[in-house]
Amino acid sequence: MPSLDIATRETHAPVNELTVVAKRHPGRWLAALVVLLVAAALVRSVMQNPRFQWDVVNLYLRDFSIGKGLWLTIWLTAVSMAISVVLGVLIAVMRLSANPVLRAGAFAYVWFFRGTPLLVQLLFWYNVAALYPVISFGLPGVHLNANHLITPLTAAILGLGLNQGAYQSEIVRAGIISVDHGQGEAAAALGLTRGQTMRRIVLPQAMRVIVPPTGNETISMLKNTSLVSVLAVPDLLYSAQIIYNRTFQPIPLLLIACIWYLVVTTVLTVGQYYVERRFARGNHVLPSTPWQRMRTLLKTHTPMAKGSAR
Amino acid sequence: MSQLTQQEPQAESADAGPMVRCEGVRKSFGTVEVLKGIDLEVQRGEVVCMIGPSGSGKSTMLRCINHLERVDAGRVWVDGEIVGYEQQGNKLYELADKEICRRRTQVGMVFQHFNLFPHKTVLENLVEAPRLALGESKAVASERALGLLDQVGLADKRAAYPRHLSGGQQQRVAIARALCMQPKLMLFDEPTSALDPELVGDVLAVMKDLAANGMTMVVVTHEMGFARDVANWVAFFDGGQIVERGTPEQVLGDPSHDRTKAFLSAVR
Repeated sequence: MPSLDIATRETHAPVNELTVVAKRHPGRWLAALVVLLVAAALVRSVMQNPRFQWDVVNLYLRDFSIGKGLWLTIWLTAVSMAISVVLGVLIAVMRLSANPVLRAGAFAYVWFFRGTPLLVQLLFWYNVAALYPVISFGLPGVHLNANHLITPLTAAILGLGLNQGAYQSEIVRAGIISVDHGQGEAAAALGLTRGQTMRRIVLPQAMRVIVPPTGNETISMLKNTSLVSVLAVPDLLYSAQIIYNRTFQPIPLLLIACIWYLVVTTVLTVGQYYVERRFARGNHVLPSTPWQRMRTLLKTHTPMAKGSAR
Repeated sequence: MSQLTQQEPQAESADAGPMVRCEGVRKSFGTVEVLKGIDLEVQRGEVVCMIGPSGSGKSTMLRCINHLERVDAGRVWVDGEIVGYEQQGNKLYELADKEICRRRTQVGMVFQHFNLFPHKTVLENLVEAPRLALGESKAVASERALGLLDQVGLADKRAAYPRHLSGGQQQRVAIARALCMQPKLMLFDEPTSALDPELVGDVLAVMKDLAANGMTMVVVTHEMGFARDVANWVAFFDGGQIVERGTPEQVLGDPSHDRTKAFLSAVR
């Protein structure tokens, strides 16, 4: 019987002479081809359409005033995020406090600043002198002129920071809640105070949950700072606007703004990746970074490595 | 007794009086009364096992001893000091957080789910509280911590994170962490209930060692063998009360109460 013959040959074939043939995926190749074609068409049209005015983009990309605007945008993002993180921790802790008045206060804060548009809040801070021409903080002898104190820049910082603080407090609160209740108990049983428990035990663990959305919010903040152009604060967008109001070339200058926003976002994304790894310590085996993966790949695929494997 | 609250912690209040004394302790969660008047005395150097079905109040009683739970009525003394309160006349004033923390540093506790700090290495887990709560230097705390890790057989794991240890190893680290505070009393809340059966032995061995060295221990457990071998006496909890107490031979070998008999026959 020939079939038996084949069967015996198959079972008796030496193991090391067998070759594994992976399944073919023609559908995947086709889908990839479609995507590549669309991408190529897009790039081609962008490159060939003269109305993009790439020469003007090139002319102003490294312009001094654009650079100053970019710096202000980054500075504003950093300062507003710093304020919002501090505020966020404070409000989250208030929200989780045993004191009902503190809880209600925190709730009201989040309710108000999350419930009104950021643009309106910015305009409000800008015009706060109309409500309080003189700021004294209720202290005798303090007599500050609101028009001098609340410059467009301070209005921008207040608006962005206080608004983001509301969102940040929810992120921090989620992080604190995510930490196992037993952690606080263990710390308490060891005699740590509530403040020590929060700072040393709970918050560091909450960071694992807090960091990813905070990175997200930072990137979001970077672009939200463009709203301050309505207060005539010379950030990246407003600096581009100043130029195109003079040259009547809005498209290339808006492209410049986009390019710089993308550059900073890219840097922030890479930063976020490494910060997340830092706070994942002790939680699971960390996957290797793309950089490490690339080095492993090069190592295993050099002819020498292949030869020695045989 | 009321005057003793002013004493220094380590002052040899000692010798005299029990390590733990509970008097008419009551505790409710909402409408459910989980402790219905517990009286209890643990002498210095004694090992007491609290056994009983789930929800019988034994863990809650344990947690009242270091004020993780606040008692509704009655009093608990540890080493002559009322736990969590200061008595003046016939009023009990709840202590300030700082004072509660100070007293907790003298009572070690081990939990069912270990509750190690996952973001800190084994050694960092041990030295954290001595440094923060006792204000010790890193060198002093580390030296004692390494000695304790050696004692529980985990000296080589000092740099590991808890996640990389087995349950039995984690629980031994947790015991070492509690001991690193040099407590005068150790509380164990079902220390082996979350462990694989083959890992239970290592943890119980560490606890037996501790008992043999004269540590006063209150242990909530389902390990009848441990209770029989190590406990000076056993309290059987049911429905928020101690229904039977006595030597392990009496309670485990020849129980007199029907409820105890039923529980023990189910456990065996």
